[in-house]
Amino acid sequence: MAKEFGTLFLFLAGGFVLSLVIVFVNWLLRPRNPSSAKARTYECGLETEGPTWVQFKISYYLYALIFVVFDVEVVFLYPWASSFKSAGLVPFVEMAIFIGVLALGIWFAWKKGAFEWN
Amino acid sequence: MGTITLDHYIYLASALFAVGVVGVLIRRNILIMMMGIELMLNAVNILLAATSAFNGDSAGQVFVFFIMLVAAAEIAVGLAIITMIYRNTGSIDVKDYSRLKG
Amino acid sequence: MDFSTLTLEIGAAALALILLVVGLFLPDGKKGQVGIVAALGFAFLLVLSFLAPGSKGPFFMGQYMNDGISVLFKQIFILGSLLVTLMSLRFTRRFEDARGEFYVLLAFSLVGMMGMAGATDFLTLYIALELMSIPLVVLTAFEKGSMRSTEAGMKYVLLGAMSSAILLFGLSFLYGAAGSFGYGAVMAALTGGQTGPLVVIGGIFALAGLAFKVAAVPFHMWSPDIYEGAPVPVTAFLAVASKAAGFAALLRFFPVVLVPLGLGMTTLIVLIAALSMVLGNLTAIPQTNIKRMLAWSSIAHAGYMLLGVMVASFAGAAALVYYLLVYLFANVGAFAAVTAWSELSGSDEISSFKGMWKKSPLISTVFIVSLLSLAGIPPAAGFIGKFFLFVEVAHKGYLWLVALALVMSVVSLYYYVSVIKTLVSEAPEGETSKADIPLALRAVMLVSAVSTVVLGVLPGPVMGYIRNILSTLSS
Repeated sequence: MAKEFGTLFLFLAGGFVLSLVIVFVNWLLRPRNPSSAKARTYECGLETEGPTWVQFKISYYLYALIFVVFDVEVVFLYPWASSFKSAGLVPFVEMAIFIGVLALGIWFAWKKGAFEWN
Repeated sequence: MGTITLDHYIYLASALFAVGVVGVLIRRNILIMMMGIELMLNAVNILLAATSAFNGDSAGQVFVFFIMLVAAAEIAVGLAIITMIYRNTGSIDVKDYSRLKG
Repeated sequence: MDFSTLTLEIGAAALALILLVVGLFLPDGKKGQVGIVAALGFAFLLVLSFLAPGSKGPFFMGQYMNDGISVLFKQIFILGSLLVTLMSLRFTRRFEDARGEFYVLLAFSLVGMMGMAGATDFLTLYIALELMSIPLVVLTAFEKGSMRSTEAGMKYVLLGAMSSAILLFGLSFLYGAAGSFGYGAVMAALTGGQTGPLVVIGGIFALAGLAFKVAAVPFHMWSPDIYEGAPVPVTAFLAVASKAAGFAALLRFFPVVLVPLGLGMTTLIVLIAALSMVLGNLTAIPQTNIKRMLAWSSIAHAGYMLLGVMVASFAGAAALVYYLLVYLFANVGAFAAVTAWSELSGSDEISSFKGMWKKSPLISTVFIVSLLSLAGIPPAAGFIGKFFLFVEVAHKGYLWLVALALVMSVVSLYYYVSVIKTLVSEAPEGETSKADIPLALRAVMLVSAVSTVVLGVLPGPVMGYIRNILSTLSS
């Protein structure tokens, strides 16, 4: 037991030392000419306009809520699919009803305008 | 080092459950209270999955699926209500809700 | 598998989906017609429950049971849904384009309640419980602009989820002992000596979770706030149907942990019942809002009804079902009167009831009959309901409990009668506008008042029907 943990410890210590060495060597070798472009948050991409803590559109929230519920429903499809061959007709019809109810839910959200973007 | 028995899972689940209960009871931010409830439910999930594995009976794991599903539905409704409350009051701190007194 | 066992459940689920689709097809101004379809659907289900309650027996590997208890409870739930729907036909105008969903949610909640009455397995019980509570949460928070309503919804979702977590934690310990979720297997394992401190803790947690659902002391804190904040018809539905569903589940669940875990559990439930009676009635006295007062009175009634669960016998179950029926008509009558009055006066404070007798004798009469029934004054039905219940408790040997219940009934008389005194007193200002009560609401009020009196004067036929169904359909 102690030997196995010793190996693990050596491995961890080696990794730590190696990363320190790499940072140190980089610091030795790098050229030194600071400029304002380097001090930016992002080296590429656009500058942000205004404060970054803005409120997101509420539609995102709706999508997220609907997604979470339907995403979790998929949990039931997996055990059904893995025993699909041996199960027979009744579970097939039951799952068809289950998916039918889910589809009704999507249709409802659609008709209520949850997927509209305006 | 001993092997891990069902008792260890019971201790873990009970500790998580207790943390969840304390979180719901003493925190005053609704979102954190909801996280406390999730923690309680997940403690139950751990307990069920462990019991199911040690009993050699898969029903417990099926139960876990159902709990996860219902928790998702509950949280979806809860978050929708929180957005409504935020629109009405501009706060998600429970101490700002004193219109109904127990 | 014989799917005709589930006739009523399938009917209710189909009704909910049909209402959803109907609501989508109706143009924006006409969503109110969903309510009429819902009322017709519930009426059809009620008739169906008498003609074809589904074949009796266990279903789906013993996870579900259709017997006398579940048929009777399903009839109570359908009746409650029907009356609440009729009561809210005009009320839901304020919800504008979300009007249709109000009834859809009622129907989904009904499916959950039916499931609770039939569940003989922890998994079925939990799913049914959540299927009942999640729509109820949405209904509670249905008045989007009202802070009281959204706040009540938030409290309900937090405390409801917490109580289900407590229930589940208890159930998972019982599962650990029995190795199965079925009531039969759990009972057999516990009777076979599979008991220990963990199992007892599991039983206590599970009972606490269920006591929360019926709002019994000390798990009652949510109910006054939520009853006050929710829209009035929803409050009626919570007080009547959701409480009955909790009792249906308790009635099945209690023997599973009571018989094996011995007298400790009985003592616990006696304690909860006694506390509910005392605290519920005493706290109802100083209330100034009628919905809060009725909430505290419903906590007290939960105490009386827990006695029926504690008796755990055939006669006890029959007395409990009768009491629930009486309680349903009394509460629906009271809340229908509050709905009608608050449309008229815009307030649900007790002080606003002054001059009600002058303004609308109909509302006042229904209100008085319902309150007398809740207080247990003959000839209203509350008296005979209490009589049946207390006789069974006395048979069981708990004479001190009967004495306590009687004393508390006398205490409750005080606050019910003081409301009646307010409403017959003279109005401070002399304006007399004629009451305009929608036809459906009028019908609900009349039906509840008449049923309350009939159940009080002629208890024989209904009690006979209950006993008959219980014995012919019992497993």
